[in-house]
Amino acid sequence: MNNNMDIFGVDTAGLRNIVAEGLKGGSWCDLYFEQTVYNDLLLRDGIVASGGFHLDYGCGVRVLDGEKTGYAYSESTEMPALMDAARAAAAIAGKAGTFGTAAPVCPPEIDIVRQAWDSATKKELAAWLERLEAAIRAREHRTVKVIALLSWSQSDIMMYNSLDSLTSDSRPLGNVTVTVIFSDGRRTEQRNVSRSHRCGREMLSDGLLEALADEAVAGLDDSFAARRPKGGRMPVVMAAGASGILLHEAMGHAFEADFNRKGQSIFCDKMGRRICRRGINILDDATIPGNRGSLRIDDEGVPGQKTYMVQDGVLTSYLHDRISAGWYGVPPTGNGRRESFRYNPIPRMRATYMESGTDGTLQDLISSVRKGIYVDKFANGEVKIGEGDFTFYVNRGYLIENGRLTMPVKDINIIGNGPQALADIEAVAGDLKIDDGTWTCGKEQSAAVSCGIPSVLIKNLTVGGE
Amino acid sequence: MITRTERDIALACLDFAREAGAQGARITLNKSIEDLIATLDGEVDKVTRCADRSLSIALFVDGSYGSFSVNKMDPESLRDFIFKAAETVRMLAPDPCRVLPDPERCCKTAREGTEMDIYDPAREAVSPDERREAALAAAVTPRCSGKALEPALSCGHEGMRLVSEEGEYSDSVFDTLVVDSQGLECRHTETSFDYGVEVTVEDPEGNKYSDYWWTSSPRRSDFDASDCGAEAIRRACAQAGSSPAPSGKYNMVISRDMASRLVTPLLNALNGYSIQQGNSFLVGSEGKQLFCPGLGIMDEPWRKGEAGSKLFDGEGVATCEAPIIENGTVKRFFINSYMAGKLGMAPTVEDAIRPRVLPWPAPGLDADTLMRECGDGILVTDFNGGNCNMTTGDFSYGISGQLFRDGKSVRPVSEMLITGNFLELWKHLLAAGSDYRPCATKLVGSLAFSAVDFSG
Repeated sequence: MNNNMDIFGVDTAGLRNIVAEGLKGGSWCDLYFEQTVYNDLLLRDGIVASGGFHLDYGCGVRVLDGEKTGYAYSESTEMPALMDAARAAAAIAGKAGTFGTAAPVCPPEIDIVRQAWDSATKKELAAWLERLEAAIRAREHRTVKVIALLSWSQSDIMMYNSLDSLTSDSRPLGNVTVTVIFSDGRRTEQRNVSRSHRCGREMLSDGLLEALADEAVAGLDDSFAARRPKGGRMPVVMAAGASGILLHEAMGHAFEADFNRKGQSIFCDKMGRRICRRGINILDDATIPGNRGSLRIDDEGVPGQKTYMVQDGVLTSYLHDRISAGWYGVPPTGNGRRESFRYNPIPRMRATYMESGTDGTLQDLISSVRKGIYVDKFANGEVKIGEGDFTFYVNRGYLIENGRLTMPVKDINIIGNGPQALADIEAVAGDLKIDDGTWTCGKEQSAAVSCGIPSVLIKNLTVGGE
Repeated sequence: MITRTERDIALACLDFAREAGAQGARITLNKSIEDLIATLDGEVDKVTRCADRSLSIALFVDGSYGSFSVNKMDPESLRDFIFKAAETVRMLAPDPCRVLPDPERCCKTAREGTEMDIYDPAREAVSPDERREAALAAAVTPRCSGKALEPALSCGHEGMRLVSEEGEYSDSVFDTLVVDSQGLECRHTETSFDYGVEVTVEDPEGNKYSDYWWTSSPRRSDFDASDCGAEAIRRACAQAGSSPAPSGKYNMVISRDMASRLVTPLLNALNGYSIQQGNSFLVGSEGKQLFCPGLGIMDEPWRKGEAGSKLFDGEGVATCEAPIIENGTVKRFFINSYMAGKLGMAPTVEDAIRPRVLPWPAPGLDADTLMRECGDGILVTDFNGGNCNMTTGDFSYGISGQLFRDGKSVRPVSEMLITGNFLELWKHLLAAGSDYRPCATKLVGSLAFSAVDFSG
């Protein structure tokens, strides 16, 4: 495969010289070259009258002295600038290191571009957005405004490190996000729907257009009628798919190895211990073809892989970058990720999900609850790592009364404690779904992720309300 | 910072845009340098040097508009970039509302960049060793390691110990130059000296509590991080033994470091984009008294020497000191040139620059006095997630803090939620403190509200 050297105007001798300079300050040095071109088109007020493209280019140099990091970057890939960056990173000033060797890297294939984004004109792409608006308006006469953003990017990456390992990657990412404002004359409602895939413009199919339009208007009458529930602690049934935000916030972050290495995570002393009931498996996976969170290779040159964090209810692995893997004496799990060349890599999630269970269907879970809440659309979430307290914001749900969905509810936050919520998972249905929305994790840096889950019943969470 | 050559490149981009057929263009050159030293448990953990330079290019071509950015600065590739950009703009639908701002409204007083007196040339002289010393001197681990935390830090809880301390010292300089094809040229330069620290503490039962504290100053001589670590530990320890309080309506006092979280949705709802698209709970609110008569928010961007002050907005429009909300009445939306055309309204600055919530009903109030005035209630000291529906103003946030009785804290609370509607919440404002942190960009003191729904 093309190693992208032509993009960055460097050669192998130059790469080796830069790393040799970095190794004067530590035992490890790596280089991360990136060129990202990001394009966008925005439909607003019925026309696509805004758009553009953005070019970001540069190289980050990292030097490690044990777990200590020296980091610098340059927006130029001329040798003098890169050597300056290497000297700045070497200021961590540890014991000098030497080159080593590594086995060849064999990453999985996960992002296949069938139609390059630039094989369509901007006008053709804009026409798809206009058709999307028309499809939404045709479905729902209460539509007031449609704001639709189409963005696509291509990141060309090249990495080289002091194991003399040279790797490269080309990462496509396409996103469609739609905000629709509806009004019934008295009340106003807003809907947000999105899709994100690592693929080419084949993403913009008629099927996607219809699915987004359907999703934008689904259950709108209930949204107009929705109210705040009475708040308090109650059982919560979480629908398959986007409810995976529970795993991301309540467990995933606490399984990231940097928080555990530093003793900050509530799970730092629970490796190998049972943390939830038997039969529950929780993974972080970089290998789902076309998935927003998938990576052929992480940002430290480690192949993308599937990592079981919880197997049969037992905590079996944290999510590692090279630093934490070295500290724990385990192989890295391919979770070393960064927002761009401006950032050093840290452990991050990719696609985090729970495998299907054997406790029947979503309907079975709802039927088992006398008084509780069902939730299926979410906005954002957050976690306090030390305490394990997590929250997520519910855009849409229903009360459950005597095993049936009754009053629609919306705009409530739900709060719980990670380990307790895990222990309180009472039932897992067999309907795993990975959500393909534009999930973005904001731990220090921005990272594209995704999440999924089968429908689950949690015995007790605190629901915001009146 | 921005050199004469770089300024010339920005001006050359205007020429390239003209050559490419653009009738109008705005070029924004941003340049920054940051040096950062992170510590972990009292030792240097990370040394980082960041140097960024980028051009943002807004093009107005044949009635259409596009925005672009690039961080490769050589003139030849910039010329190609802008010609390609102009071609892209021509493929977009025309929009007559897309215009450069009226030159009469644009800033003419920011020629040097240092007019607001928040650039400290002393930053240039900070040595790598001094940065290390600043980061290490701020660390509290050496005072705490290997023993139980002293009572002054542990808020009286026995057997608390420090598990982890992550500190981050940085000093940085930001320089922005905005030029446009109508002759606009304005510049803003500022420095910042910052320290933030996150600690995790553990009680004898192994329960962990974490919290954060920070400080920032544009001037090195005013920078003092010496109490940050201790404050973070005190805040974390204050949560020891926390549990939810019963659900119900409570008075709420929100501490000064968190209060801006409740002001930001108001300011966002006043933004022209939200108003024009109908996803604002303040559509049609101008001139109406919607909030408690005691609520006043001023935009104060002209305070020399104070962080956040600025003479122009992103379009180069001159800022001004003006009321945003006065006596509970909305006085001002934030309408840029584009939205002014869309809405048929007079343009303003595009955003609040340095908003300040005015003290009410008297100056000198802080969280302690507000708790005394309220008698009973919950003091909110931290948020955990949550969101606001900008269309309706409905909100729900996770919180932690202190339950108080007779004006005094009785126990910490966590795993709780506040839920309501911003229009209603701000009608129930009881008082606004004047204890805001000058280092913040939104100057909001502690706030007190009545009848807030808490779920626990």
